[in-house]
Amino acid sequence: MIDESDISKEPMLEMFVFETNQLLEQLEELLLLSEKNEKIGTENINEIFRIMHTIKGSSAMMMFNNISSVAHSVEDLFYFIRENKPDHLDYSTLCDLILSASDFVKSEIKKIQSGNQFNDQSTDLYVNESGGEDEGQFFDPAIILSNRIKNYLSSINGNANELSLDTNSQNDKSTHKFYISSYNKKGASGQQKYTAKVYFVEDCQMENIRAYTIIHNLKVSSSEIFHRPAQIIEDNQSSDFIVQNGFDIYFSTNENEDEIRKLFDGVLFIKTYELNKVDGYLDEISDLYLSSSRNSKADAGMDTNSYSARESEDEKETSIKSLKQNLISVNVEKLDKLMDLVGEIVITESMVTRNPDLIGLQLDNFGKAARQLRKLNDELQDVVMSIRMIPIAATFNKMQRIVRDMGKKLSKEVQLTIIGEETEVDKNIIENLSDPLMHLIRNAMDHGIEDSEERKLKGKPFIGGITLEAGNTGGDVVISITDDGRGLNKDKILQKARKNGLINKAETELSDREIFSFILLPGFSTSNEVTEYSGRGVGMDVVKKNIDKVGGTVSVESLSGLGTTIKIKIPLTLAIIDGMEIAVGNSIYTLPTICIKESFRPEERELIIDPEGNEMMMIRGNCCPVVRLHKLFAVKTEITNVSKGIIIVVENDARTVCLFADQLLGEQQVVVKSLPKYLNKYKVKEIGVAGCTILGDGSISLILDAMGLINSNI
Amino acid sequence: MTEALDQLMEQEDTQHGRFLTFSIGREVFGIEIRYVTEIIGIQPITEVPEVPAYVRGIINLRGKIIPVIDVRLKFKKETVEYNDRTCIIVIDIEEVSIGLIVDNVAEVLSILDENIVLPPDYKTGFQNKYIKGIGKVGSEVKLLLDCDKLLRDDEMEILEKIT
Repeated sequence: MIDESDISKEPMLEMFVFETNQLLEQLEELLLLSEKNEKIGTENINEIFRIMHTIKGSSAMMMFNNISSVAHSVEDLFYFIRENKPDHLDYSTLCDLILSASDFVKSEIKKIQSGNQFNDQSTDLYVNESGGEDEGQFFDPAIILSNRIKNYLSSINGNANELSLDTNSQNDKSTHKFYISSYNKKGASGQQKYTAKVYFVEDCQMENIRAYTIIHNLKVSSSEIFHRPAQIIEDNQSSDFIVQNGFDIYFSTNENEDEIRKLFDGVLFIKTYELNKVDGYLDEISDLYLSSSRNSKADAGMDTNSYSARESEDEKETSIKSLKQNLISVNVEKLDKLMDLVGEIVITESMVTRNPDLIGLQLDNFGKAARQLRKLNDELQDVVMSIRMIPIAATFNKMQRIVRDMGKKLSKEVQLTIIGEETEVDKNIIENLSDPLMHLIRNAMDHGIEDSEERKLKGKPFIGGITLEAGNTGGDVVISITDDGRGLNKDKILQKARKNGLINKAETELSDREIFSFILLPGFSTSNEVTEYSGRGVGMDVVKKNIDKVGGTVSVESLSGLGTTIKIKIPLTLAIIDGMEIAVGNSIYTLPTICIKESFRPEERELIIDPEGNEMMMIRGNCCPVVRLHKLFAVKTEITNVSKGIIIVVENDARTVCLFADQLLGEQQVVVKSLPKYLNKYKVKEIGVAGCTILGDGSISLILDAMGLINSNI
Repeated sequence: MTEALDQLMEQEDTQHGRFLTFSIGREVFGIEIRYVTEIIGIQPITEVPEVPAYVRGIINLRGKIIPVIDVRLKFKKETVEYNDRTCIIVIDIEEVSIGLIVDNVAEVLSILDENIVLPPDYKTGFQNKYIKGIGKVGSEVKLLLDCDKLLRDDEMEILEKIT
């Protein structure tokens, strides 16, 4: 059961609410547009599908099964529409239906947000009064909605048996799952509630003091105590009350019953006492709680709902206060503006300190001040960048949940290893990462890891392994998810691709990587059946779209029988990088210092030319190709003799290449600006130009990218 | 009903029918003023590798990086030296900004719709792709460019090169 007081504090919940709300907004927009135009294009169908799929997954993970089942039914509906493309669909009924599903999800989320007592069944349940065996039972609107959708689907389908709808995903009332929140419920775990009624010996006097002693002793080990009469010491009549009615105590404690009895036994002048374990005492103490502010008699009949809401509100308030003292939520737009300004400051700072007007002047004090400015700017930059960076741990830990749940459901034991979770990543990117990761993990669990029988046969360890790794390389964040399962089946993929007419080149010419990248296409799936987790070919599409959105790349590697690795590479936004300025002819280029291994002035004899005319050099025993920048970029320069220029050894991903340039100009911090979109259609990036930057004197320097340079050489 | 509304909108649109004219060699071209953001003098251009010859490179316009196209080369004429009359017209279409290098800029003219005729249909002459219409001003003729085609046609060229 979800403890209502903890809901508002859950960071996962916050993310879920935010994401789902966004998706629902998109969904509504699409639906209304489609209804207006009286048609739903394939792009829209795919989009709606994706939205529902994601909502289904994340709500299932958060244990909101009613949302998940509704989303599943809608998904089925759109799957049918997408595959079979029925014409003459009544768009208004369809849209009504989907909109009511969306409304339902929204209302559920509102409830979650306001921290109401939230059960798996919604609280405005409908009572079936129509008679029959269901009479008097509560009907879950989620089930009603799902049924409506299913009926609609069969009406346009004509044959309800065509689709293999998965019924397992319905509200599974038999399995009692628990949502395990990441915070320790304060005091709630392991605590047992008790009621006690104490009668003191007649005429022992000062019953109120004795009662107070009991309370005092109990307070040590209890998380909450209520007692009647509430005011023991202050109220003189309390003694009389206790003599007449006994002293009622309601408390919750960790101690076991024996300890508590001992405690009571140790108090003098107790005639009798009753100690009972209870599940709750809300009704009994409702009058105690409200007596201070309202007429206790009149409100004794207050229902538990509002009481618990009150209680949880109070608890929420105090706990929220303690949390929020250290945190403040900031509009991301403001952060964006701040980042931009800092970027401009870096550029302007170098414009001032390297101003052409100052060349040749002797400026000592100015130099000191400039250095001071530089130091402060550096610090400012670091802090501003770190404001937006969130460690990826939160996202990764979400995945643990998925692995555990799926493992149980699929009866596969899998362990998730997380490496590099302290890697910090910009907030924008995190938001776009959690969806893809979720889908990837689900795929790994569903398709990748074999069940224990197979694994035994193959001689693999019983517990399957999935590794999530994150790391920084230069200006990118690389996240890889590896599993030691059965790997991708190249033949099956080729077969499916052939069937769908996706192969353009001769099959023998397709590299492994290209074959594997077919799985990223929408609707592509080699599985024969649709399960709750996968099989529709949507997951990888979501991954690709999300990663493309942030400008990253996805690559798939796999070894049959051994496992699959999916690597996601995302560039860090606002890169302020340390760059080395190099001159080639009249042009200035910037090379990120992080990829420079060394530089030196070679002698002519060190240059080796092979029969095909390729140039290379020996660097510490390794042979590295030489790339002449003036040739690569078609720049006019007078320095073509290697001994007159400089060789810069650049490394990326364990591959090295030697760049030949005219001279090194110096190190400088630069703000990376991306190339104008207009140039995207040309192969600029592939040749190694990753972006550009504005130098101190206003001129533009192209920023080179080691990987592009290395690849362009192939 | 929608036509009447459109007409009303057009009457209100004070930029309609106004063209910025510039000359390349002996010909005078015009482009719709609503695409033009600014006109600047020629300034140092940073070359970018792996782009067609008519894409001269990129410039730094008050912190914004804008690609520039030499219209002469785009229309397959020979280049001339840039002098102080050479201008860069910055146009902005759907958030994509590019600069056009032209010999010199003349003036902004209003050309009424009835004075604009469609270009002749013969397929000779490379420029026809980019001409949206021919505007008659007094005794002279201005070739009105289609900015969209100017930006997008590169894709066609690339495709043609591959096949």
